[in-house]
Amino acid sequence: MELFDNLALGFGVAFTFQNLIYAFIGCLLGTLIGVLPGIGPVATIAMLLPATYALPPVAALIMLAGIYYGAQYGGSTTAILVNLPGESSSVVTVIDGYQMARKGRAGPALAAAGLGSFFAGCVGTLILAAFAAPLTEVAFKFGPAEYFSLMILGLIGAVVLASGSLLKAVAMIVLGLLLGLVGTDVNSGVARFSFDVPELTDGIGFIVIAMGVFGYGEIISNLSKPEDEREVFTGKVTGLFPTKEDFKNMIPAVLRGTAIGSILGILPGGGALLAAFAAYTIEKKTKLRPGEVPFGQGNIRGVAAPESANNAGSQTSFIPLLTLGIPPNAVMALMVGAMTIHNIQPGPQVMTSNPELFWGLIASMWIGNLMLVILNLPLIGMWIKLLTVPYRWLFPAIVLFCAIGVYSTNNNTFDIWMVAAFGVIGYTFIKLGVEPAPLLLGFILGPMMEENLRRALLLSRGDWTVFVTRGLSASLLAAAAVLLVIVLLPAVKSKREEAFVEE
Amino acid sequence: MACRVVYPARDIGEIHMFRTPTRSHNRDIQHWRSYLVNIKSQKDFFSGLMFAVIGGSFAYGATSYTIGNGARMGPGYFPLVLGVILALLGALVMFKSLVVETPDGEKIGSWAWKPLFYIIAGNILFGVLLGGLPAFKLPAMGLIAAIFGTTIVVSKAGDVFVLKEVLVLSTVLSIGSYLAFVVLLKLQFPVWPTFITG
Amino acid sequence: MKKNDFRSVLWTCLAFCFLAPVGVQAQTYPQKPIRLIVPFPAGGATDIFARTLSQKLAEKLGTAVVVDNKPGAGGTLGSDMVAKAQPDGYTLLLATSSTHSIGPNLNPKMPYDAVRDFTPIGQVGNAPSIMLVPNSSPAHTVQEWIDYARKNPGRLNYASSGNGTIVQLTAELFKAQAGLFVVHIPYKGTALAMPDLISGKVDVLFDSLPTGLPQVRDGRLRALGVTTAQRTPLAPGIPAISDVLPGYESTTWFGLFGPQGLRTELVSRINLAANQSLKDPEVADKLQKIGIEGIGGTPAQFAAMVASESAKWKKIINERKITLD
Repeated sequence: MELFDNLALGFGVAFTFQNLIYAFIGCLLGTLIGVLPGIGPVATIAMLLPATYALPPVAALIMLAGIYYGAQYGGSTTAILVNLPGESSSVVTVIDGYQMARKGRAGPALAAAGLGSFFAGCVGTLILAAFAAPLTEVAFKFGPAEYFSLMILGLIGAVVLASGSLLKAVAMIVLGLLLGLVGTDVNSGVARFSFDVPELTDGIGFIVIAMGVFGYGEIISNLSKPEDEREVFTGKVTGLFPTKEDFKNMIPAVLRGTAIGSILGILPGGGALLAAFAAYTIEKKTKLRPGEVPFGQGNIRGVAAPESANNAGSQTSFIPLLTLGIPPNAVMALMVGAMTIHNIQPGPQVMTSNPELFWGLIASMWIGNLMLVILNLPLIGMWIKLLTVPYRWLFPAIVLFCAIGVYSTNNNTFDIWMVAAFGVIGYTFIKLGVEPAPLLLGFILGPMMEENLRRALLLSRGDWTVFVTRGLSASLLAAAAVLLVIVLLPAVKSKREEAFVEE
Repeated sequence: MACRVVYPARDIGEIHMFRTPTRSHNRDIQHWRSYLVNIKSQKDFFSGLMFAVIGGSFAYGATSYTIGNGARMGPGYFPLVLGVILALLGALVMFKSLVVETPDGEKIGSWAWKPLFYIIAGNILFGVLLGGLPAFKLPAMGLIAAIFGTTIVVSKAGDVFVLKEVLVLSTVLSIGSYLAFVVLLKLQFPVWPTFITG
Repeated sequence: MKKNDFRSVLWTCLAFCFLAPVGVQAQTYPQKPIRLIVPFPAGGATDIFARTLSQKLAEKLGTAVVVDNKPGAGGTLGSDMVAKAQPDGYTLLLATSSTHSIGPNLNPKMPYDAVRDFTPIGQVGNAPSIMLVPNSSPAHTVQEWIDYARKNPGRLNYASSGNGTIVQLTAELFKAQAGLFVVHIPYKGTALAMPDLISGKVDVLFDSLPTGLPQVRDGRLRALGVTTAQRTPLAPGIPAISDVLPGYESTTWFGLFGPQGLRTELVSRINLAANQSLKDPEVADKLQKIGIEGIGGTPAQFAAMVASESAKWKKIINERKITLD
């Protein structure tokens, strides 16, 4: 079959010594920057771009791609170990991953993330290889109305992210939406809520909020507890690898996550961001097996599902890039730039005019994923050792890396002031008993929601029924309504039970 | 002699412990106070307050932009709607905090001023040392100085502070950061103070 | 006596030590790497242009030229950084018409003055725009599209990369000259408008040539015309819109600026290096592939061009009452 021929060609290209070395370097660098909070693949790829000019195009792209998904792997490491989501996709991993680490199960958490990501990466690459062209047609069906409905669905799912008060979770989502609106409005060009500060005209950075709220808030809160109450990382690290029980629980989660991630990754315009959140939501709504830890307290499925989803999503997000030449996010935009500099125009003719490049890249994705698992699994032991460092040495290091990471995004000290402010805010949140994860989801989705809402209404000339008359949009909204009922049902049920008991 | 009016506040059992001596004859103040001490969940009350205030501020700020109507939404439309929703949610949460019973009052507890101060101060110090403050004519001291300064200040947030240990930690972190960020990742940082590098 | 002589020699030596570096500096510029600030995100047309140019520029100037992306606020953040930098020749800006010809006329709260705070060094390129329609559009020429739009006033949409961008203004200029009523749909960048354009949800987009051409080459979109005054060698076979609308012209210029107060000898050196780089066949070839025309010139020509472009866009902005709101 043609696919196998192509793959054979690809592997032939990818397995050259030179390309393997570059894949390895890319993966290593990617893991490093993923682990270091703040510094993301965008900055690194931008910096290394000039270094790749001298390389042959295939090698350059293989290395850059390695950095990209290496960063995904590394980002989940910090999320699990120190409650710091380095990427928007790791925000969900923090919830259960960090709790697992505190209970001494960091090893299984990291392994779950790694193995789940590997599986999802393989599947995602397969889908990319086999179904790239037909899948782009699906992407075309998504207009602004569909995106908006999808995001409503995502937001309702976000309520599920919180384990505490439902009402406060909704309020946090709305707050996140509002924070996301700070900055220049796409449709009109007006800078909103920026108080004439030029750095705010592009909005508050995600990293700034994540570092401040998750990182600093957690550290301050930890330090405020007396030494013995501080269950930072209970010394007893129980095994580095997931148990058989863990595996049994994990596998369906990984499968579900991969499916969701693959589908959402195809959508140009940020579908991949929703992947992790959606996977977690769906996972949380499935029945708990007897003996399982509840979600939010260290359930391994809460790590495996979102990690698989975001890895599958990042693989399939190459599809709009390679077939349409449309970069779905900043990293892909850089890849387009890299390709252009090497005189390659991304688009369907890449498949025909540069088949070695296209298939070589795809083959190297598999190799890259494999390398990353091989790199990361032994590293788990090292990370665990790191956790046994006394907290009084660990927390200054974390603060420092947050500050450096935040500064490195824009080389602007303004970001450092912002992180400080959000650190205070994060601590306040902890004291007030409100959860940051829904806020971050609202923050990410807010601007996209508004943009699509306004665009849909502009295109329909003010007709609100467009959201229900378009088939795909209507079904998404119907799904959102169903999800809303599912979410509210337990709350309603318990109230009803209370009422019954009183009687 | 004026007949004593039975203030409703007195009838609510909860305030036994917190009842203030009735020096004031003003019925309204006592009434208000009784609701205040009747907070069932401090956390909810203050978080609701926070939401209401923030929502209100955003909604107020949104009015300074064009609102438009449903068909042609101006930049102020969405923030206004969201701000109002948030304010309403905040009010709901506050109401809930006054009405719904909780086992322990969900107290906020004391604020950890010491760690809060030192961590934030350390962070700000990092920015000041790394980039300098042009407005105050402070030159940029560079990465190494910033790491030392920040590590020392931040370490004071913990329980234990041994200067020698902290200095060793700073050195280790400086070397590590230099290798990882400047050498390996080639990030553009001012490493040494500007008056040395020129 | 001897002591006095010795002292005066010492003072003269010291004086030399202070004065000499100044003289030496001017002769041995550049002594350290030069930062070329690109006020747009990495991977975009401006960024690719900068990177292609910087390699050759580094060769000609004899030092590394590091491209530094400082995106934000439509290019004003990065431009502002250079406006406030030291005029020592080590911080340069690759500006476009958005930052210096359009932005100042649109945004009353610019953090810099486009004329006073900068020293023009030289133009480096020109990118035309291209009129793109979906394959499902009934029009195959510019004239057909104008007729189609006239028959459906208010029913058609055009996409842009945001309010106040060159993409929008190019379309508004077209509407003004042809007398059309087409609704504006802004996006966060033309790349994101592509799916909607390809599927026909929006009817036309005046994209810059570098980003629009690949889609045409792939057969996903149809190009009706280019916005240069005449046909351009960068897009052979595509007629100029000015054939149908006389006098229609809209291009994005790219140019180098330094902070205000940059010394003339440094300006000349950089200008010379830039012009030489543009003439290099490798650079010219790469630029052509991207869809940018490498154009050089003197600092004075550059300043004059920026001023005239600024006046032209100011007129359109006022006439069509385009505001940031």
